[in-house]
Amino acid sequence: MAKELIRLSDCVVKFDDEIILDRLNLYINDREFLTLLGPSGCGKTTTLRIIGGFLTPTSGDVFFDGQRINDVPPHKRLVNTVFQKYALFPHLNVFENVAFGLRIAKVSNDEVKQRVLEMLEIVNLKGFEKRPISALSGGQQQRVAIARALVNRPKVLLLDEPLGALDMRLRKDMQNELKRIQQELGITFIYVTHDQEEALAMSDTVVVMDGGRIQQIGTPEDIYNEPKNAFVADFIGESNILDGVMRADGVVELFNRRFQCLDGGFAPDEPVDVVIRPEDVDIVSEDQGQLKGVVTQVTFKGVHYDTIVDFSGFKWLIQTTDYCPVGSRIGIKIDPDGIHVMKKSAYSGMFGDYSSYSEEYDEIGDATMEPGGEDSGDEE
Amino acid sequence: MRRKRNGAGRLLMALVFLFLYAPIFLLIIFSFNAGNSSAVWQGFSLGWYAQLFQDRLVMESVYTTLLVSILATVISTVAGVFAAVGLFGLKRRWRSPLMTVSNLPTVNADIVTGVSLCLLFAAVFQGWGSFARWFNSVQSAVELPARLTLGFTTLLLAHIAFDIPYVILNVSPRLRQMDKNLIDAAQDLGCTWFQALRKVILPEIKPGVVSGALIAFTMSVDDFVISYFTAGSATSTLSMTIYGMTKRRVSPEINAVSTLLFAVVLGLLILSNVLEARQEKLAEQNAALQRPAEYRPVKIRSAAPKVTKKPWFRRTVAAVAVCALIGSVVAMAFAVGFQPVVNVCSWGEYIDTDLITQFEEETGIRVNYQTAESNETLYSLLKSGGGDYDVIVPSDYMISQLIEEDMLAPLDYSLIPNFSKIDPKFRNLPYDPDNRYTVPYAWGTLGIIYNTTMVDEPIDSWSAMFDEANAGQVLLINNSRDALGIALMYLGYSVNTTDENEIREAYQLLADAAERGVYQGKVMDEVFQTMEGGNAAIATYYAGDYLTMRENNEDLAFVVPKEGSNWFVDAMCMLKDARHPEEAHAWINFMASTDSCLANLDYIWYGTANQEAIEQYPAYYEELYDEELDQETFDIIQTPPEVLERCEMYLVLPKETRNLYKELWISLGV
Repeated sequence: MAKELIRLSDCVVKFDDEIILDRLNLYINDREFLTLLGPSGCGKTTTLRIIGGFLTPTSGDVFFDGQRINDVPPHKRLVNTVFQKYALFPHLNVFENVAFGLRIAKVSNDEVKQRVLEMLEIVNLKGFEKRPISALSGGQQQRVAIARALVNRPKVLLLDEPLGALDMRLRKDMQNELKRIQQELGITFIYVTHDQEEALAMSDTVVVMDGGRIQQIGTPEDIYNEPKNAFVADFIGESNILDGVMRADGVVELFNRRFQCLDGGFAPDEPVDVVIRPEDVDIVSEDQGQLKGVVTQVTFKGVHYDTIVDFSGFKWLIQTTDYCPVGSRIGIKIDPDGIHVMKKSAYSGMFGDYSSYSEEYDEIGDATMEPGGEDSGDEE
Repeated sequence: MRRKRNGAGRLLMALVFLFLYAPIFLLIIFSFNAGNSSAVWQGFSLGWYAQLFQDRLVMESVYTTLLVSILATVISTVAGVFAAVGLFGLKRRWRSPLMTVSNLPTVNADIVTGVSLCLLFAAVFQGWGSFARWFNSVQSAVELPARLTLGFTTLLLAHIAFDIPYVILNVSPRLRQMDKNLIDAAQDLGCTWFQALRKVILPEIKPGVVSGALIAFTMSVDDFVISYFTAGSATSTLSMTIYGMTKRRVSPEINAVSTLLFAVVLGLLILSNVLEARQEKLAEQNAALQRPAEYRPVKIRSAAPKVTKKPWFRRTVAAVAVCALIGSVVAMAFAVGFQPVVNVCSWGEYIDTDLITQFEEETGIRVNYQTAESNETLYSLLKSGGGDYDVIVPSDYMISQLIEEDMLAPLDYSLIPNFSKIDPKFRNLPYDPDNRYTVPYAWGTLGIIYNTTMVDEPIDSWSAMFDEANAGQVLLINNSRDALGIALMYLGYSVNTTDENEIREAYQLLADAAERGVYQGKVMDEVFQTMEGGNAAIATYYAGDYLTMRENNEDLAFVVPKEGSNWFVDAMCMLKDARHPEEAHAWINFMASTDSCLANLDYIWYGTANQEAIEQYPAYYEELYDEELDQETFDIIQTPPEVLERCEMYLVLPKETRNLYKELWISLGV
């Protein structure tokens, strides 16, 4: 199955003197659902535009099915795109929007009709043919955009933050829908998002990007459980990232205390970053704990409590179903498989400290990640 | 309190609207006036509209205006859309300065645009001229025209140039509003860039394109200043013609033209507003359509083919329209390019326009008939190289000056057999002693026109022009030669004197009278309206024009004062660099024929030099109007010998005397 379809090799994109993409290497397999994940300005939309043909890399090559396609214009590529804000044609109705690509390709009228109706059925828009675009809700427009791209039977579908403008509920529905369509039609999807949950839920492969570089490529499980550096660990889910020293294979020292872990292959006494996921920490009574601390803040989140615990000045986030009141002294226990050790990187020390934690961290986090939901840095 | 303020507010509002619209309403009302006064209501009539549609000059300029406006609109819309799309695609760093540069012409003063375009064309023509001469000298296969002049093409180019910024200004906001991704989306779906432009960008920016085109069209129709500088002398737009008309007689025809122009602009405005409103309504309807759609699927089958049929139909209509436009332009170009033509410049209201039609029908030569305001304006126009005429009709003293400056071409009298009908006393006149350059067109005398109800006793002397008794009731003729001539004649000097003291004395006479408030103003053709309306008692003007005025006001009388007066001859001559000498001779011969002279005499009431015509006129008049021509009128037309004896013809004055005239005339404040 895993036949390689697209390869980007050493792609560099520069605007003036600003480097947007820095020697990017990536291959995408046929029928894969691959997600480019990263914050605003990380180069994910730029990568997508290179594949779509809207942008020629400053240097480097793009291959499609083994053919170099750097100079092939967008309209000659077997690739279709679902744009960020759908980019539906306001002067055409639903039917004509979907039929647009077929009409350009001079497909016969009967076939156009058949294929468009078929596609509208797949995206659950049967009966909407004659509606003008302005009379559709956001979710419906989204479906039209997908139908418009898919009706051309592309080899690859590029999706640029397609769900960004939808509300939470609709987003969840559409995620399932997209996954279903991808499996039903057996088309390669390349999906750009800044929403890590979305990426984990839908993808076969996730590519985490930052600063024009790929930080990590892997399955959602890999990315989540085995982040390669502090950036990935922090960007995917919540993480407590601590400075540690690898004393031996399977033994890492934190706060002058040795913990057992499953990682190995480091030099003796090598300084490392240690990732501990908030849900991997068990709260026990103070005397049983490997570490002892004071609860400084508790927030009820529905499924669990977000509990901030102060361990001699370093604050951790712990997600637990047990309620511990503020001010109570507790102990914690971490299983060896709850500890993940990473090599030090440029991102060390930048993430994973909850000292400045506030209840609105979700919102703040989103706001800094994606102002206005737009990849403005990638545009020019 | 509140109500009171409302009342005042409403009054103020009413006054504002009155101030804004009263002139236009007045104009519209008087365009339906039966009489030819612009001041007195004489009953409802559509006569002026009827006359308007028969007025060659106006109709020709309407045609020119429409053709220029439509072509300029189409071309500038296409160019402007491409420019706007191009600018839109640029990076912001380049876009903003370029946008500013492209918008600058819209705020630039028209006069600057006009003059600079005129200069540019002149420079290009000069460059082309030297290239063509060189090219013609090195080879003989192709003969390039060496002399290019301002005309329809330059006018069109100028209009395109000043229209484009308006199109860009209207299209750009639409482009900025458009989702940039639409272009990517279209290309993504298989469109080439050009297809994307046609199928996605154009429909998106259509409202901007339409409003841009409408504004460009309105600007083109409306423009006067830029056209004035770039149309040359042989082409005239409607606004230029209207301007020309106001400089002469203010005929109610102007009201009719202006009313129609106003209606057209209003119509365009309403059209663009209605289009906009309809679009908004459509958008609202679409928004309201957001209801369950279960009942719709049934219709799909019939809907799909309809969708495909409509563009086909539209495309055919568009294609037919484009073909028609191109066809008419090509036809026009052929008609203009290959039909023989003669460019004539004469005075306003100085021809029976039926004669032009008759000439064109007989000879197949198209007559491009333009008018100038006075001998002096004609002279400066010729000197500046702006007058691309073949035949001109200057007055005697100006002819001498033109001959002196070698600006006229000798005529070939074998091509003008009708010259034999010219009364010998009108041949070999001082301005053309050997009669090599001219054929007389019309002649007449200068005299006093006065309103018998406004003066105590009949006038017979120039003294009336300086008499305090008539203070504020006298109109001084607005041309230095005639005005100073009157004073010279009153003082008993020759009108052709070169004695500075005599001329200064004459000036002093005028200046003193002006000081004492004798003169109401300096007028040329405004005299018609003022005298007909009884708004002044005394004026100096030409005999033929008096007869025209008398038709509208029975109280007017004419006299050639006892001190003597000026008699003048306007004669047809051909310019040295005339491009259509053959046609020019044909025109001169035609206008000198007895039939033409009779028709013209009846129309303009000026004397004719054609001996047969003047002899036949009484009979002609009787046959035409079924009444006898009274002797008084006939005497004014033909001026009896005893009166003519008192009159002197203007001769060309030496340069220093001309300068003295000019200087004195400028310092005379009236």
